[in-house]
Amino acid sequence: MSALLISVGAITALSSILALLMVIADATIGNYGEVKITVNGDKELIVKGGRPLLGSLMEEGIFIPSACGGRGSCGLCKVKVLEGAGQYLPTELPWISKEEQKENIRLSCQLKVKTDFKIEIPEELFNVREYRTKLVKLRDLTHDIKEVNLELLDGQEIKYTAGQFIQFKVPAYELTDEPVYRAYSMSSVPSDTRHIQLEIRLVPNGICTTYVHNHLKEGDEVIFNGPYGDFFLRDTEAEIICIAGGSGMAPIKSILMDMAEKQNPRRVRYFFGARGRRDLFLLDEMKELEGKLPNFTFVPVLSNPEEGDDWDGETGWVTDAVDRHMAEGDGAKSEGYLCGSPGMIDACIKVLTANGIPKEKIYFDNFG
Amino acid sequence: MKESPQLKIAEANMRPGVITLNGFLGHDTRPLGDILVADEGTVRRMGLTHVSIAEKMRHFLDAGMTGLGEFVDVEPHFEVMVQSVRGKLPCPFGDPGLIPKTNVTVVNRSNGKQITYTEFHIHLVGQHGFYEGHGSPFRLEPKLLQEVLEIEPLDL
Amino acid sequence: MNETIYPVAIFFAAIFTNNILLTNYLGMCSFLSVSKELKTSLGLGAAVTFVMATTTLLNWIVYHQLLIPLKLDYLRFIVFIIVIAAFVQLVEMIIERVSEGLYAALGIFLPLITVNCAILGVSLFMVIREYSLAASFAYGLGSGIGWSLAILAMAGIRQKLAKARVPKGLEGAGITLIITGMMALAFMGFTGMINIS
Repeated sequence: MSALLISVGAITALSSILALLMVIADATIGNYGEVKITVNGDKELIVKGGRPLLGSLMEEGIFIPSACGGRGSCGLCKVKVLEGAGQYLPTELPWISKEEQKENIRLSCQLKVKTDFKIEIPEELFNVREYRTKLVKLRDLTHDIKEVNLELLDGQEIKYTAGQFIQFKVPAYELTDEPVYRAYSMSSVPSDTRHIQLEIRLVPNGICTTYVHNHLKEGDEVIFNGPYGDFFLRDTEAEIICIAGGSGMAPIKSILMDMAEKQNPRRVRYFFGARGRRDLFLLDEMKELEGKLPNFTFVPVLSNPEEGDDWDGETGWVTDAVDRHMAEGDGAKSEGYLCGSPGMIDACIKVLTANGIPKEKIYFDNFG
Repeated sequence: MKESPQLKIAEANMRPGVITLNGFLGHDTRPLGDILVADEGTVRRMGLTHVSIAEKMRHFLDAGMTGLGEFVDVEPHFEVMVQSVRGKLPCPFGDPGLIPKTNVTVVNRSNGKQITYTEFHIHLVGQHGFYEGHGSPFRLEPKLLQEVLEIEPLDL
Repeated sequence: MNETIYPVAIFFAAIFTNNILLTNYLGMCSFLSVSKELKTSLGLGAAVTFVMATTTLLNWIVYHQLLIPLKLDYLRFIVFIIVIAAFVQLVEMIIERVSEGLYAALGIFLPLITVNCAILGVSLFMVIREYSLAASFAYGLGSGIGWSLAILAMAGIRQKLAKARVPKGLEGAGITLIITGMMALAFMGFTGMINIS
């Protein structure tokens, strides 16, 4: 009996001592205390040390763009760290070029803040915030595109430029167990600072689009952060040629509505490529914009109109339609704004440059 | 058999809801290492390599791009449709770089068979020899790939 | 304590003639799964060597200075395991603090080798063969290096194996175990060369 007690006692004592040692170690070695992050020379943040820079900044309301949830697989969360960072981690190096290394650019989701840091981030990022909203209206635009209308809660207001996008937070649902962020352009007009609108197309096996199409209901809460992106109307007097199909219409619509409000006199043509009539949407809104804007033409182009479609508009590839519509000399005085897949953008750039628009004057939505 | 930490991380990334809604493992209960080994053997016995399969998949993707979302004819007897949606996905194995979401459907007119895969699969097959787990809706059977795409065996 | 066996002899024996993996068949599970890649094998081998050497030393001290005086030597199995687990935990924390690079290269293997039976095996052999402190350290270090050499050799062989025609049923674990057996057979030729017990 006593042997049993001694054995149990001895093991308990040993385990307790070692466990205590672990606790002390965790509190000392594993504990970095609080550290200071100085942003752009003046803003000072006090954060808990030892955690990745990306998360620490996010907690303080500074949103660095990220598409992979901090796993180190998208390369978007680059931050310039002037002081405090140690050697480059093996997980950072694949993303940082030699020139970037000279500038001390780091991957903020991998870099842990173990001591005081001095960092530099672009001013635009200070405008990025997280917003809590309510889904006020969900509307079907086509068989696979839904229009999502969100109203900002807590009296918040959002300031953005027409053409920018936000990161939509998809909470854990069905089989998923972590939230995920997906980017969508805003199709609303910036002057309404209490609402935003998105166009979301259902993608098979898509985490966010399945959530929006099958689970989201009017009245639900939606969280997003933004605005991001540098796709916007350049302030010149050039004529404008827009090419975008499907949910690519979102940033273009935002730009057109903004132009209508400000009564921008520039000539603008919007070529919308789709397969059949059932892929066309917001035709009434486009007609309305044609009325409001002094010089806007909407040109839908169907590549595969069906028998019953009764279509007498443009047909074929949208790029051919653009080619047909562009007159001699148009190119030199125009700018191009494109939104679509890489293949489509390449084809559009080809046709626009062939018609005289210089490559630097062609802008495209490049986050997708 | 225990798995190396890298494969454990890749397997975690392949679960539903991490990168895609349904994940990449379907209802396959085998560890990722076993799935890779089994497919590697199958491919080798067919006289092919992962790289040669991925190259043929890439060939059809490039050929079908000109269609801008519609079917185009590709020599000698194929029809290919390439559709893109917005967004990019990271590799579950942790390779740097994001892969665009591009769907490719290849129809082989001479034997009537067809197959659908994505640009993502070209990377998974070519770089990692991963064809997805059994029961995954996007599982690529090497045998079907060879039949539809008509991949020539190499002289090994 | 067996003073007549020199630690140096034990060191070389542990690497070649009494290889913990190929002669005693301990530490196979992580060996089988990780030996597919050369670079990973290097990292794991280094981690195992470090942990083996230091835990053998620690366990010697705990056994001879604590368990024997208190007549608790029968508890050595469970005590050794607890010491190994606590030590690995501590090392992981220290490495993470001191060098992120080292942690990325080595640290991810530490949880994997905590339950590696070779680590416990080395400590237990040290007790059975009644080694001195110096001999124990030599044995631990040598075993680690021996284990690492075995895994590196296996990784090299498996790289070549990729081109070979392995029968379907033997793919993966099957052929690896057969190769391990053949390597062990080869090492059996060393039996009796150096007497370390």
